[in-house]
This record gives sequence, C-alpha cells and structure tokens, in this order.
Amino acid sequence: MKNKITKYYPLIPLLAAYLLLLLIGKNISGMWQLVAMLIFYCAMGQAFNIFLGMTGYVDFGYVAFMGVGTYGMALAITHLSHIKGLGILIIIIGFALAIVMSTLLSMAVGAVALRLRGAYFAIATIGVNEGFRFLIEGARIWNGSEGLIFTAQLNQILGRETASSLMTFWADIIVLIIAVLAAFVTLYYMKSKIGYALTALREDEDAAKVMGINVTKYKIIAFITSACFAGLVGATSWALKTPYVFPPEVFEIHYTIEAIIIVLLGGAGTLLGPVVGGLIYGISKYYLAIFMPGFQLLIFAPVIIIIIVLFPEGVVGMLKRRVKGSALAKFII
Amino acid sequence: MKKSYFKTALIFIAIIGFFVSANAIAAPKKLVIGHPACLSGKYAKAGEQAIGGIKACVDWVNNVYAGVLVGKKRIPLKYKYYDCESKKESVTSLIGRLITVDKVNVVFSAYSSGLTLRGAPVAESHKMLYMDHGGANNKIFRQGFRYIVQTIGPATRYHEGTLNMIHKIDPTAKKVALAYEDSEFAKMVMHGAEKHAKKLGFNVVFERTYPKGVTDLTPLLSALKASNPDFILGGGHFEDGQLFNRQMADLGINSNALSLIAAATLPAFYKALTSMAEGVMGPSHWEYGVKYSAQEAKKVKLPWIGPSQDEFVALFKKALGKNIIPDYHAAEAAAQVLAYVLAVEKANSIDSDKVRAALGDLTFMSFYGGWDVDETGLQVGHSMVDVQWQDGKRVIVWPEEAQTGKPCYPMPTFAEKAKGKVAVPK
Repeated sequence: MKNKITKYYPLIPLLAAYLLLLLIGKNISGMWQLVAMLIFYCAMGQAFNIFLGMTGYVDFGYVAFMGVGTYGMALAITHLSHIKGLGILIIIIGFALAIVMSTLLSMAVGAVALRLRGAYFAIATIGVNEGFRFLIEGARIWNGSEGLIFTAQLNQILGRETASSLMTFWADIIVLIIAVLAAFVTLYYMKSKIGYALTALREDEDAAKVMGINVTKYKIIAFITSACFAGLVGATSWALKTPYVFPPEVFEIHYTIEAIIIVLLGGAGTLLGPVVGGLIYGISKYYLAIFMPGFQLLIFAPVIIIIIVLFPEGVVGMLKRRVKGSALAKFII
Repeated sequence: MKKSYFKTALIFIAIIGFFVSANAIAAPKKLVIGHPACLSGKYAKAGEQAIGGIKACVDWVNNVYAGVLVGKKRIPLKYKYYDCESKKESVTSLIGRLITVDKVNVVFSAYSSGLTLRGAPVAESHKMLYMDHGGANNKIFRQGFRYIVQTIGPATRYHEGTLNMIHKIDPTAKKVALAYEDSEFAKMVMHGAEKHAKKLGFNVVFERTYPKGVTDLTPLLSALKASNPDFILGGGHFEDGQLFNRQMADLGINSNALSLIAAATLPAFYKALTSMAEGVMGPSHWEYGVKYSAQEAKKVKLPWIGPSQDEFVALFKKALGKNIIPDYHAAEAAAQVLAYVLAVEKANSIDSDKVRAALGDLTFMSFYGGWDVDETGLQVGHSMVDVQWQDGKRVIVWPEEAQTGKPCYPMPTFAEKAKGKVAVPK
C-alpha cells in the first residue's frame, strides 16, 4: 500500500508547480496570459517527452500531430455548429476527433519511420509536417490554403460571453489538465513494464531486442501516446484559444524545435523536466522580449547553449543525480 | 457654531477633491498606444517599418499637433511596444501585459491576419480598442468582434483600383484572366478581384491558382494564353511574381496590362527583370510619391490630419535612425495613430467604447489616403494605389487623386521590350 502511494510522490513537485502558476495567474494582475503561455510550453514539452525522453528518438515531425489535432477541433466546430442543441458536445466531439486524427497520423508515420533508427528516423520525420501541409493545401481539403476561421461559430455555439471566457481562460485550464494527464501517463509508463522496456531500448535497442523485448511495440505505444497528447494540446491551444487555422501556422517546424529545447533543457526522460524546461524557456523568452525587444534571441541562444553544456542531462537530470540516495530522491525523477 | 464651519469646510474640500479626481480620470497625463510588434521572426521587416511609422506619427502628434485634445486639455501620446517574435503565443501574453500592467489605452495588432486574430479575443475580453494595420483578411470582421477596427485595406479590394482604371481608360477591354498563388491571402485577393470584375462587366475568361513555391508556370501560362485575355491579374509573392513575368516573356504572352500583387511594386522586381518589367503594374496600400494632401482632401470634402508625405518620411527616418524610405507597412501603422487621435477628440473621451463608436463615424484623409470603416470595423475608405514601371521608375498611375503619372496602356509587347522599348504613357 505504502509502495503504491510513494510511487506518486514525484507528482507532488509537479502539481505544486502548476498550482503555483495558477495562483500567480489568478492573483497577480497581468500575469494570466504569461501563465497561459508557460502552461502551453509545459504541456507541449510533457507530451513530446513521452516519446523523445523515453525512447531517445528525435521526431522532427511532432508539430504535425498538433496541427491535425487543431484541424480535428476546427472541423467539429465548423461542420457541426449549425446543428441546434449540440452545444458544448461539439467541443467534446472536437477533442475525440483530435485524438482520432492524431492517432491515425501517428500510426501512418510510425509504421514507416519507426523501422528506422537515430538520424535516419529524424530525417524521415522532418518531412511529415511539410508533407501534411502541402497535402491540405494542394488537395484543397479542409478549405485548403484559405484555412478555417470560426470565432463566429464558437460564439453561436456557446454564446458570446462563454466563448470569450473559453478563449481567454478556460482553454488554458484545459491545456493545464492535458499537461497533468500527460504527466500521469508518463509516470505510469515509467513505473510499469512499458517504462522498463522503453528505458532498455533507449540505452541499447539491440540488447533490448536480444533480451526478448518487442521494441517496435513499445516504440509505437510511446509514439501514439505522445501524438495523442500533442493533438489535444493543438486542439485546445490553437483551436479553442484561437479559433482559426491557417496551414502554414499549425505545421510550423519551429514548434518542434521549441519542444526539443524544452525537453533537453529540463531533462529528457524525466517527469519534472518538461515543466522546468517549459518554465525556463517561457519566462526567459517573455522577459527578454519585454526588457530587450528585438535583441532577445541574441541573448537567448547563448544562454540555452550554456545551460545545455553545463547540464547535459538537463536541469532535472542534474538534480536527480545530486539528490540520489537522499530523502528528496523519491520526489525528483 | 465652530463645528458647523468645520463641517462646511469638510464638505467643500470633499466636493473640490471629487472634481479634481474626476478631472484626473477624464484627462490622464498621457495616452498610451500598446503594440506587440514583430521586431524579429518572419514578419520582422514589416514590424520594423510599422514601429518607425508609429513613432513618426506619435512624434508629429506630440510636437506639431501639440497632443490629443480631450476636454480642454492636450494630452501627449506614448508608444509602448514589445517584441512578439512574430509568434502567436507571445502575442496573447504581451497584449495581456500591455492592457493590465502597462494600462495602455489602445492596442495595435501585430502584423498578419493570423496574429491579428490571435490577439483579438484577449483585447475583446478586456473591452479594449484593437486597431488592425496588418491583417487584411476580410473574415476577421465577420467573427463578431466589437472592438476591432481596420486601417489596412481588406484583401478583397487589392485589385479594385486596377479594374476601375482599365474600365475607365479602355472600354473595349472585356476579358480578364486571374492566376494567383494558392495561399490564404492571394485567394482572398482573387475572390475580390473576380467579384469586382464581374460587377464592372468584365468577363473572367481564365481563373486558376498555382501552388506555393512553384518553379514552373509554363503549363498554367500556356492555358492562360489560349484564353486570349485583354489583361491579366495575378501573383502571390515576390518569387512567383518574378517567375510569372519571366515565363510570360519566354512564351511570348502579350497582354494590354499585367498586374501582380506583392511582387511588382518592389524595386528588386525591376532589378531582377530589367526591361521585361516595363509596363508591369502592382497594387499597393501606399507608395512614396502619392499626391494625397490637404488640397486633395479639400477637393473630396474630407478633413485632413497629419504630416505631409515629406514630413512623414523625415520623421520616419529620425524615428528609426536609418536613411530608408518608408513602405506601406509604415504608412498604414502611422495612419492608424492619426485615426485614433481623431476618434479620441471626436468622442471627447478615452473610453474604448466611445472611441470605437467615434471610429465608426470617422472619415478623414492623411498622407496615407482616405480612411473610413463600416459597422464591422472593416476598412472601406482607403483605396489602393496602382504602381507601374515606366522607364525603370515606379509611377503611381491610379487613383487619379494620388497619381504621379498617366498609365501606359497597353504596355509594350515582350518583343518590343526586348528591343529596348520602355513603357511611356500616350
């Protein structure tokens, strides 16, 4: 029984961090939108960490899952808004569609790319987001390059006031819930057979295979889980918070780069890493933009390089090493 | 007795105090314009221009116009901006800060339709006036936002001027071909052009889009040639606009007029194509050299505000500390400052609701041209200018009140251009 409870101790600092963010956002004037941005980065990192952190595979097409998730929500709202009486159910259908679409895409990508390893896998996934964008634009599906703008439909479904509070507050709360869920799933994987198998394949895939681990199966599990959470983050942050979708904006590779930076800054494969990475990344970006507008990237880039050189395992990776054997060890994984 | 004197004095002080504080609320020390500017990222070039334009007009309002008249007090403008890196996550967080921490009185949107849309719900939730100088998508104004007002002309009106001009100077021209890049912006331009062409009685004989990053337009242009149009409207970005013109020359497709969005107005277009670009036109929101002035405003019975074009250029150079000529991104952002100033004065208040209502009734002319919005906030009073390359120079040929020269119509054929013939108006 005690073992069962201690298993969840690592969630305490994570939940405390999110709670603190919520309290800051709600109680300090002008902080909510900053907190919303930080939650977005943490959620994005948390979702990405399930695959990159646990398998060691770098997926450059990650943003495509966020993009299709965004389309899932957008399609539900634009196609179902005329049906009277559905109301909030449309949003739930949107989430279901986001999960289905990102799962299908991850299965299609995974079936091909997960046969490859290392740099070959990374190269194979680079084209996914661009390919999917060109498919939407070229085949003119889902309104092609013109995209979808659906604030008016959202107002129609929920009423102006509710839609406004959804876009400016509740969407951020949903992103937070998604981030917490992703953390739960990460912890569950870490403490189960899946986690041990993923750790084994991350350290030495051939050795894991020899030991009888079905590496393909576990890679697919991690890949699909990560893609589902990415789809949910896209559906909320990019469709509910901002009711429009333009293909070039939701398939932009820099979000994948940001996710990689967040995970590496915090510590790949750790539970707390994406939160720490997301906070360092988001807060530095925000305050540098305020105090040194236009020069923030010049300062930010070397800062990231220095952090990664000093802490190659990420900030949480380093902490984990330091607290090893102490009472704190059960909180930091 | 003494007590009643004391009470009266207290009431008197309280009344004076009330009026003093009420006056302080009605007339703040400064009016602050907030802006999540695109100083870096993919819209950095447009963002730098917008900052220069806004700073130039803020300078003019404070030092030449002597501030914004609210009540009987003239209040200076202040400009507060942060770098949003052309990213949507930063736009919302910075707008939130500008409104709640910096207590700005108005928010100017970031560049592009997407970033404008991203910031709109945050501004709306704070009932904050939100002015758009970078989002041309008409659909923004069909979403039910109450506090948004546009200065940039909507995408659907980009080719209205070209069509009006050809309709006026060549009543025999009937057939128009439309060939645009498959992008959100270019398709919206094409829809507007098609609608206006039909309204003027033109027959759209060819209509097709081509993908982004296209490297060969030969099949499309061959099909276009077969439709034998009197004139051609098209484009999307600089690269495809250049390719369009070059391959038209290769295929010997001659037309009375060719107008390309986003490409033809750039100096690099002529530099790349030299004589092949002669006579080619392009619409622009504003170009250096336009003839909008207080006299022109008087002619069309519009009130005039703001610096003259040359004054604006000087203030712009001073603001950026660079010797560069402003482009339309700077002009439209600057005109937005003037619209805000006039609306505050008209409303005699800084309250967002009252200023938004005043903007709805406002019409004026500045160095940028006309300004008027419909009930949704969509810009309807600003006409695009049409620029044509004539003898290696950019000449503003339309509208008549802004033109610096007559249009060359029909433009020389590609064979004539190859022999060195330049576009000269008849």
